[in-house]
Amino acid sequence: MTGLKAFCVGLLAALPAAALAAQIGNLDAPAVKPKSYVVYAAEEQSVTAGKRSVLELHFRVLDGYHVNSHAPKSELLIPTRIELQQATGVRAETMEYPAGTSYSFSFDPTEKLDVYSGAFTMRLPVVAEAGAHTIDGTLRYQACDHAACYPPKSLPIQVIFTAK
Amino acid sequence: MWHGPRAGGISNVKRSGLVFGVMVVGIALLLWAGWHNLRERKLAMQQAQENHVVLVPEKAGTATQADSQSPAAEAMQMRGKVAPAFTLATLDGKKVSLSDYKGRPVLVNFWATWCGPCKVEMPWFEEFRKQYAAQGFEILGLADDVDAGKDAIAKVAQKTGVTYPILLTDGKIQMAYGGPDGMDYLPMSFYIDKSGVIVEETAGLGSKDEIEAHIKKIVASGAAAGAGGQ
Repeated sequence: MTGLKAFCVGLLAALPAAALAAQIGNLDAPAVKPKSYVVYAAEEQSVTAGKRSVLELHFRVLDGYHVNSHAPKSELLIPTRIELQQATGVRAETMEYPAGTSYSFSFDPTEKLDVYSGAFTMRLPVVAEAGAHTIDGTLRYQACDHAACYPPKSLPIQVIFTAK
Repeated sequence: MWHGPRAGGISNVKRSGLVFGVMVVGIALLLWAGWHNLRERKLAMQQAQENHVVLVPEKAGTATQADSQSPAAEAMQMRGKVAPAFTLATLDGKKVSLSDYKGRPVLVNFWATWCGPCKVEMPWFEEFRKQYAAQGFEILGLADDVDAGKDAIAKVAQKTGVTYPILLTDGKIQMAYGGPDGMDYLPMSFYIDKSGVIVEETAGLGSKDEIEAHIKKIVASGAAAGAGGQ
């Protein structure tokens, strides 16, 4: 009987813990809506100090979405672009954007769009002094799926690299 | 020698200690399981994000894989509700209210200059507007991206051949129809019957036939004087 009581007490004590564990487990449950349709793969890079080198910025558009390329075919479409802040000891040249791919909405095959989908890489030529550097920036883009479009978004990024 | 109760007491203490120990281990296991589950899911999520090969969808329905609450799934929030009233300015500065169309079937369509699917359906709307004009049908096109400027908005309206009123949104109207975050998706369309009730709500582009079916529904609706936000 004592054992049974202890078991019941134990169970009662364990239930809140189980609930807590369940809550902990739910912390990264699928979001109601993705807050961002593009992700940035931050990776530390190394370049030669004082020499023109190219940094690569890797992005990926989430499955099922696309964003306009940097050079969309209509002036009314919002191009994907990056705004970078000045970093001490780093002279950055103009960002090199990748070419987009042709895309048409299935309901309007005649209109060709120029988009990024999946992984895409931007290239940033820099000349940097020796040392560790971080360039802060923001990716601006506007995403759509097969039938709807989403308001323009901003994605903060950091380009981290070391010049040796 | 009488020592039974004493020995029994020690035994009970030991047993209680054992039970307590088991409880502690049990709770610890539960907490560890929760933490382990969280970690595994995070790793799986990271791996999925790193390894996925992304394909642009060609067919309807694929977008729902990326978003558990897709436009289509979310387009149910206003159905059956009285259409929120509004007064907005046209590109010419003229004030237009939803109540101006009281007793008439109205399609309220939110769109933006950067929205490709919106521009596909706008000529269809224009066509249907003419087709059902005799039944009092009207369309109000609400430009969601006022910051694009009147010129850009007018240019799209002209390019798509739209002659129905284009209204400039004020931020509040997006919240009234789309919730606290405004319009999460475009296009968004609200089909309001003659009594001022939203009988159909669609997010994203549907087929031309679907759009006409919704229009037919509100055109056929009976008027209820004084009802609704109109």
